Amino acid sequence: MKVVGKELPRVEIFEKVTGQSIFGADASVAGRILHGKLLLSPHAHARIKSLRTERAEQLAGVKAVVTGRDLPDVTYGRFVRDERYFAQDKVRYVGDRIAAVAAVDAETAEKALRLIEVDYELLPSTTSAPEAMKPGAPLIHEGYADYFAADGVEGRTGNICSHSRIVRGDVDRAFAEADRIFEDTFHAPMVHQTYLEPHSVLARFDATGKATVWVPTQAQFPLRAAIAQILRMPMTKVRVIPTEIGGGFGGKILATLEPAAIALARKARTPVRMVMTRSEDFQTGNPRHPFHLRYKTAVKLDGTLVAREIELVLGTGYSASSGVMISQGAAVRAPGPYRIPNLRIDSYCVYTNTATCAAYRGPAGPQLTFASESQIDIIARELGLDPLEMRLKNAMEENDETPAGAALKDVYTKETLRKAAAIMGPRPTPGKRPRGRGMAVAHWLVGGMASSAGVKLNEDGTVAILTGVVDLSGASTSLAQITAEVLGVSIDDVHVRTADTDFAPHSTISAGSQALKSMGSAVLSAAREVEKQIREVASDRLEANVSDLELGDNRVFVKGTPDRSVTLREIGHLALEHKRGPIVSTQSVAQLQSHPAMATHTAEIEVDPDTGHLEILRYVAVQDVGTAINPLSVRGQIEGGVMQGLGQALSEACTFDQGRMTNPNLLDYKIFSSLDAPEVEVHLIEHPCASGPLGAKGVGEPPIIPPPAVIANAVHDALGIRIRELPITPEKICLALKEEKRS
Amino acid sequence: MSKSIKIEVTVNGEFYSEEVPTNLSLLNFLRYQLGLTGTKEGCSEGECGACSVIVNERLVDSCLVFAAEVNRQSVDTIEGLARPDLHPLQKAFAQHGAAQCGYCTPGMLMAAKFLLDKHPNPNKQDVLTAISGNLCRCTGYSTIVQAVTAAARES
Repeated sequence: MKVVGKELPRVEIFEKVTGQSIFGADASVAGRILHGKLLLSPHAHARIKSLRTERAEQLAGVKAVVTGRDLPDVTYGRFVRDERYFAQDKVRYVGDRIAAVAAVDAETAEKALRLIEVDYELLPSTTSAPEAMKPGAPLIHEGYADYFAADGVEGRTGNICSHSRIVRGDVDRAFAEADRIFEDTFHAPMVHQTYLEPHSVLARFDATGKATVWVPTQAQFPLRAAIAQILRMPMTKVRVIPTEIGGGFGGKILATLEPAAIALARKARTPVRMVMTRSEDFQTGNPRHPFHLRYKTAVKLDGTLVAREIELVLGTGYSASSGVMISQGAAVRAPGPYRIPNLRIDSYCVYTNTATCAAYRGPAGPQLTFASESQIDIIARELGLDPLEMRLKNAMEENDETPAGAALKDVYTKETLRKAAAIMGPRPTPGKRPRGRGMAVAHWLVGGMASSAGVKLNEDGTVAILTGVVDLSGASTSLAQITAEVLGVSIDDVHVRTADTDFAPHSTISAGSQALKSMGSAVLSAAREVEKQIREVASDRLEANVSDLELGDNRVFVKGTPDRSVTLREIGHLALEHKRGPIVSTQSVAQLQSHPAMATHTAEIEVDPDTGHLEILRYVAVQDVGTAINPLSVRGQIEGGVMQGLGQALSEACTFDQGRMTNPNLLDYKIFSSLDAPEVEVHLIEHPCASGPLGAKGVGEPPIIPPPAVIANAVHDALGIRIRELPITPEKICLALKEEKRS
Repeated sequence: MSKSIKIEVTVNGEFYSEEVPTNLSLLNFLRYQLGLTGTKEGCSEGECGACSVIVNERLVDSCLVFAAEVNRQSVDTIEGLARPDLHPLQKAFAQHGAAQCGYCTPGMLMAAKFLLDKHPNPNKQDVLTAISGNLCRCTGYSTIVQAVTAAARES
């Protein structure tokens, strides 16, 4: 292939390095723009006795105040309809939306917020899912039984908004007959995507009643649908224009500021800009679910896994949102990429008084893998087996079934395991401080949502792609590569940018590692159609059979006689005179089959037993990527994902005190800086996969999944202590060493 | 009501005479009063470095500087890096995949420029330290280090 497989800079890179890219807070329109702010609940759980906005409305410089009274009476929620945009009778977390104001400047808006009078009756709250599950726990949704719930949502009771269960074989018998049984509990606290760009939006409401928002989003079609639902507007009256996005990682999918901004712009008859502060983004975003996990595993003495009983408890925040789907998907992946004939998995999605937890790169992946892969090591050590051999012995292979009964194709788990071990190599001579090695496998399945895309040939022979997919991972560049490859043109002659909801055909969201898989398939399809049309016009012109023609170098020529050719520029012109008309095609792909995207990571660390400080000496990441359309993008995704995963492993956690997040800032919520980042040795395994465009597999999520387990296993290898709660901080290491000494 | 004050400031070599509220940050002055939106806001607390600019040969977080403080000073932002051709750093960032979402990139480039202006031959540790005040959530930093080192070699 000429273009696919090349390391090419991103198509929009020059705007990024010159500061010309327009992100959410950069978007602007002519004329005055008001400053919008939300009034957020300071309490984790309270009834609203009264709400008075008159004093705020009367403040000079305030142009609009909106509350739930200004919005239609709508409850929404994909799986359980438990959400209202503005809190009505009660607030359910610190950050719950009560009202919004638009004013001439930030200062006036802040003053106006302080003039809104809310009378609260405090209620007991909880941020712990296990606590919220207990009978007698304060009900977060008293009316839950009357809420509409989608098909497939089961087990709703009290604060449990979903309970899913998977059973296979006979776990009880397996436990009765087992050689050895291991039971361990683990805890992964809430962590936040911490994209560099906080949520923001610019909203305009025009004289025809149409709302337009410029917003950094990964999902402009679902966002449009959410706005249309919340404000009861037809989709033709809602236009979502994605700006450049400063990181999403799953946290910029759900509606946050947009409905408020539109309601304000409508009432004030002036455009409104809203930008979250970093503190607001931490507290009112959509972070990663905290998990409590219990794994009970039965094994034979030779290390064969016989049964796993797993209990997952997810704290989903004040609304079920996508937590239901995440908890159900977690159940399927919980046992890990291993052949286990007997399974009983219970996954509970539980309301808590926090922000709604939703998708964050590899939802449930790091938490499950932390538990599952830690326990595999625990078992291996106990039985005197090599951790690598134990994994190889049990790893899933081609055509093995997931717990949900789907047969897996294109499975290369064992290859990633062997390669990672080989690259890490034999143990070096020990240093002065304890050193250890750990490994873990990411078990990830990539789906592929429905998408549609257009490709057209301009009259001068250049090509344009019409796509709504938001470019996070460099997908746009890869789409251009795919198109250039099919049409035999230079990549510089292919234009691709994200179109908005008014003009783009429906697009998948940029999440779930499948933006390129899904949109790439649609673009590939459209490019092939355009190729057919080009051949049609060329065959007339060259008086040759369509099948005797070849495309390359921006022209079409007769196979074997390259001087019998016509340029695409001529084709572009000819088409308009030809009876077929302009050369263009829009194609759709339906939901694509899932494929496994496995990765094995292994690391070598050194720990100072006096301070608990841990240094990563080497970090190896091996991932099965199918076909690397753009290896530069693929490696970038892996390096970035590893760093986020290591943050969760070592330093990140949202901490709470009486319902309030105590570290909503970048000093106390510590993400990796350049001085914390180890070097990552990235190795790709490429076996073209049937369900991806030109063989490509989803890449973005697997790299964030193994790091917590890798570190936990390496710490055990180095010091003989087992940490079962993230993050693995120096304090935890020191305390565990103390404990170990005592016993 | 905040008061305002008149300032004279050179930004990217261009002279401005402006009336600014006394409590306006340099960041917001650049972005909203001058329309130079290349410099980004990430936290407004001086923790992330997205707002990094160079004031009189000092690398600063512009969210922590008042516009009033740059009276009669000289400010360099991302918009002034290409003169008009791309700076070797900008070319190197493009080549090496040193920008993914691009939000940290303006601040990161200013920090890198600040380094190279003082140390034309930095080693890897010099680069890591120079950008330690600039958080990036996408790249993992290694491509950034590669790009800065490559740009140093070229200039």
